Amino acid sequence: MQFRIDVDNGISIYEQIVRQIKFSVAEGSLVPGQIVPSVRELAKQLALNPNTVQRAYMELQNENVLETLRGRGMAVCTGAKRRCIGDRQILLRDRLAGVVSEAIRSGLEPDQLREMFDKAIEQATKNKEPS
Amino acid sequence: MQPAICVKDVSKRFGRKTVLDHVSFDVPQGVVFALLGENGAGKSTLIRSMLGYHRLDRGTIEVLGLDAAKKPLEIRRQIGYVSDAPAMYEWMKVSEIGWFASGFYPKGFLERFQQLAQEFELPSQTKIRDLSKGMRSKVALALAMASEPALLILDEPTSGLDPLVRRQFLESMIDRAASGQTVFLSSHQIHEVERVADWVGFLHEGKLRVVAPLDQIKTALTVLTFSQHDTVLPLPNVLAADHILYQTQSGRSWRVIIAGWSPLLEAELTRDANIFDVGTMRPSLEDLFVAFTRGNESLELSPQLLATCSSTNTTQPVTF
Repeated sequence: MQFRIDVDNGISIYEQIVRQIKFSVAEGSLVPGQIVPSVRELAKQLALNPNTVQRAYMELQNENVLETLRGRGMAVCTGAKRRCIGDRQILLRDRLAGVVSEAIRSGLEPDQLREMFDKAIEQATKNKEPS
Repeated sequence: MQPAICVKDVSKRFGRKTVLDHVSFDVPQGVVFALLGENGAGKSTLIRSMLGYHRLDRGTIEVLGLDAAKKPLEIRRQIGYVSDAPAMYEWMKVSEIGWFASGFYPKGFLERFQQLAQEFELPSQTKIRDLSKGMRSKVALALAMASEPALLILDEPTSGLDPLVRRQFLESMIDRAASGQTVFLSSHQIHEVERVADWVGFLHEGKLRVVAPLDQIKTALTVLTFSQHDTVLPLPNVLAADHILYQTQSGRSWRVIIAGWSPLLEAELTRDANIFDVGTMRPSLEDLFVAFTRGNESLELSPQLLATCSSTNTTQPVTF
């Protein structure tokens, strides 16, 4: 998987790693059983402090997204996909709440906002390729 | 565990100018510690003092348990050091300088130097004087790392280097840190420091403003943005002046870096009829750099304040 770390976006670096790994699992670009890079490898690859990567991995372990395979490193847990999809939805809900509150503060009426929202949904589903 | 570096109440004057003013801090073992500050803040003087190059007017420095004033040679033998302008014998070839330096260190130095030289793609038969700035820096780094020192001290290691060479320097630092060694660096490359440092210290006009884990400082401080309807009215009391590190105003909108902010205080600020559009953000290292070099010098981020702040979580914007 490819990471994109942005030190200026207001989210701690370790949290960015946690989210991106969860998103990859949710999308299926990381699959259960797949080995993730070691702390040292990932730290080098992203030019990050190893402790930061370690902290992200520990949190992912606590949340049962990653597990240690003795002698082989860390791998994605079975059943992690469902949890990651859930976490992703929570994040999306929070982001949406942020956008909505910004819109209300900017003086948009709920009806105008609903209209914008419906249009956005229409646009997004139109662009989506039929599966 | 004994700290890797222990600076106690150090002062240093050059003529009438005080370059270091009662500086005290410890660098724990096994961390990447970044010393930040403007040009002329005293960073290089402090680093050179650690190696025993300066006689201090006051205080002591211990490096790996050795007194820098009494045992400078012993220290230099045990650590790796890359200065901002490494001085090397210009007429030596890369391979020769490795061989020459290996005479001062235990067995194994030359092999590791050759291995590093290969990793850094250094031309072994080229003379030092014919190398580019980036190549010279890489020779200095290879020399500093070949003895596998428990402590690596780097003074502005990546200034003036191209992105690829900088990246190699970062990777080497990360490698050191991953194997449990201590790295102490001074730098202006804020974005790089933000990625690699566990601990930071801010030096401003010879005084140390704060030393703490970077994460702790970031949690203790909040970037608060808001607007005022009426700018003639004073700021509400909930913005305690003694907690404000730095503030800028542009028309009706404010940006304030404040210590000990909490959702409770934010709710109170939002209720103020004169205030609208309140937002909070986690500070970037660049915010902190500006705040600590330009901001309110009376605000002391004491360990107590840092500790209490880290328990109150600031609300983070949910973006990606």
